[in-house]
Amino acid sequence: MRRVAIVGVGYSRVGRNTGLTETDLVIESSLAALADAGLETKDVDGVVSMGSDALRDAWMLGITPLDWFFAGGTGPAFVYAAHQAIAAIASGFCHTALALRIIPQQPTGAKLLGGAGAAHPMTAMLAQAVGDRQFSLPFGAGNPPQWAGLLTQRHMAQFGTTEEQFGRHVITQREHAALNDDAFFREPLTMEQYLTSRFVSKPLRILDCDYPCDSGSAVIFTTEERARDLRKPPVFVEASALSATRDLHFEILEDMAETSPKHCAEQLWARTDLRPKDVSVAGLYDGFSVITFQWLEALGFCERGGAGPFVAAGNTRLGGKIPVNTDGGACNVGRRHGANFCIEAVRQLRGECDARQVKDARVAVFSNSFGPFCGATLLTRD
Amino acid sequence: MSAATEMPSPLLPVPDALTQFFWDGVAQGELRIQRCRECRHYIHYPRPICRFCRSRDLTGERVSGRAALYSWTISTQAFHPFWVERVPYTIATVELVEQPRLMFLSQVIGCAEGELRAGLPLEVTFERVAPELTLPFFKPAGAAR
Repeated sequence: MRRVAIVGVGYSRVGRNTGLTETDLVIESSLAALADAGLETKDVDGVVSMGSDALRDAWMLGITPLDWFFAGGTGPAFVYAAHQAIAAIASGFCHTALALRIIPQQPTGAKLLGGAGAAHPMTAMLAQAVGDRQFSLPFGAGNPPQWAGLLTQRHMAQFGTTEEQFGRHVITQREHAALNDDAFFREPLTMEQYLTSRFVSKPLRILDCDYPCDSGSAVIFTTEERARDLRKPPVFVEASALSATRDLHFEILEDMAETSPKHCAEQLWARTDLRPKDVSVAGLYDGFSVITFQWLEALGFCERGGAGPFVAAGNTRLGGKIPVNTDGGACNVGRRHGANFCIEAVRQLRGECDARQVKDARVAVFSNSFGPFCGATLLTRD
Repeated sequence: MSAATEMPSPLLPVPDALTQFFWDGVAQGELRIQRCRECRHYIHYPRPICRFCRSRDLTGERVSGRAALYSWTISTQAFHPFWVERVPYTIATVELVEQPRLMFLSQVIGCAEGELRAGLPLEVTFERVAPELTLPFFKPAGAAR
């Protein structure tokens, strides 16, 4: 297998109700990543996307012919696109791939109640109680914050995890966000503010949820050989793992405390000589706080069930044992479905993170999703 | 959208060939779960093949309705108009006693929040949440409701 490198990363403009169309998000993020790499469209021979039409995107941008393409279906968001790119380059199907995660802002709250959900790809499936959804939606269940509430409660019931420990995680991420110009939320947060923030599906609070917005994220993967000649120092894929442990149902998981990240992490560590103690910085998906907790345990940064005390002791802060979500996480930079953790990992390994830079960062891990399916990638620099 | 004065309807299940037995059971006050006639495993949600032995000989079978609470969440925000006037309510994943890790998604009713705990013994109770919808909910075993 060929060694794979990341050579360019970029975002579109990101925000609430930006007026940006899906193609705007594709164009802005793709051009930003190409510029970061110092590449032109003619240098790219693969386009993979979660959330947009890869063939349309490639043609629109003038990327032809393609040696590899993938327009995602069901998969763990950005890390799924990343794996299509990594696998294609490692195996020789293509040499340079643009991986996208494109997310038009999802309707929430009153807009959902007003029926706006039917128009968005990520909420349309919640509008009809057909197929397996006849066993969730009629019961007033089936929405993501509700299954997140179930998984959060199980972690608390099984391991004694407390509200304050989730709060400490949320506060820590906010501290990191304060150092990131790209973050929406940068004001310090107190424990009292966390504990008085509203419940969405108790014990899950609004501050445990990522922040819906329009976002486009792009990452360019290529071969080690090509990476050596480009603008920025290459960041290498040391190991990567994609994992699914059942079909796509969170509410009836046979084990809610230990889900697919456990299997994924076992595969990841089996593919490298590096160990958890070698990791300088981690980007662990925070669609909901409990997801980050499961990854901390699965990857072996702390013991099984021990994420609460581990976080509360300050281990995930900048300067701690393993700084986690140094960009502030999706709760603060907005929903980018895991792409932000890849991009932040690359920037940390390049030493581009200014005030939030982890000193001498050499190894980074990023992960995406949990429950039925997930993925994680370990990155290094020279 | 219905007028503000009308009671919003719940999202109604759309039974299909694979799931009709379940809703027929609910109409008769029975909780039925798909079961393989070959290896006798229960399967939920219903599937056209047994994932344990690949048999296609599957049937809906009445279960005891007894379960243990596995996890729960107090839904404080409605995601559908029908539930706006009904929050908070308790969504629960329960483990049916018939088979280890045979999980069923439902609601727990008739139980104070402070009494909810992992392992709490439950039994099915059929709740008419709207004139057009009856659902199998769970209540603490032996409770009156």
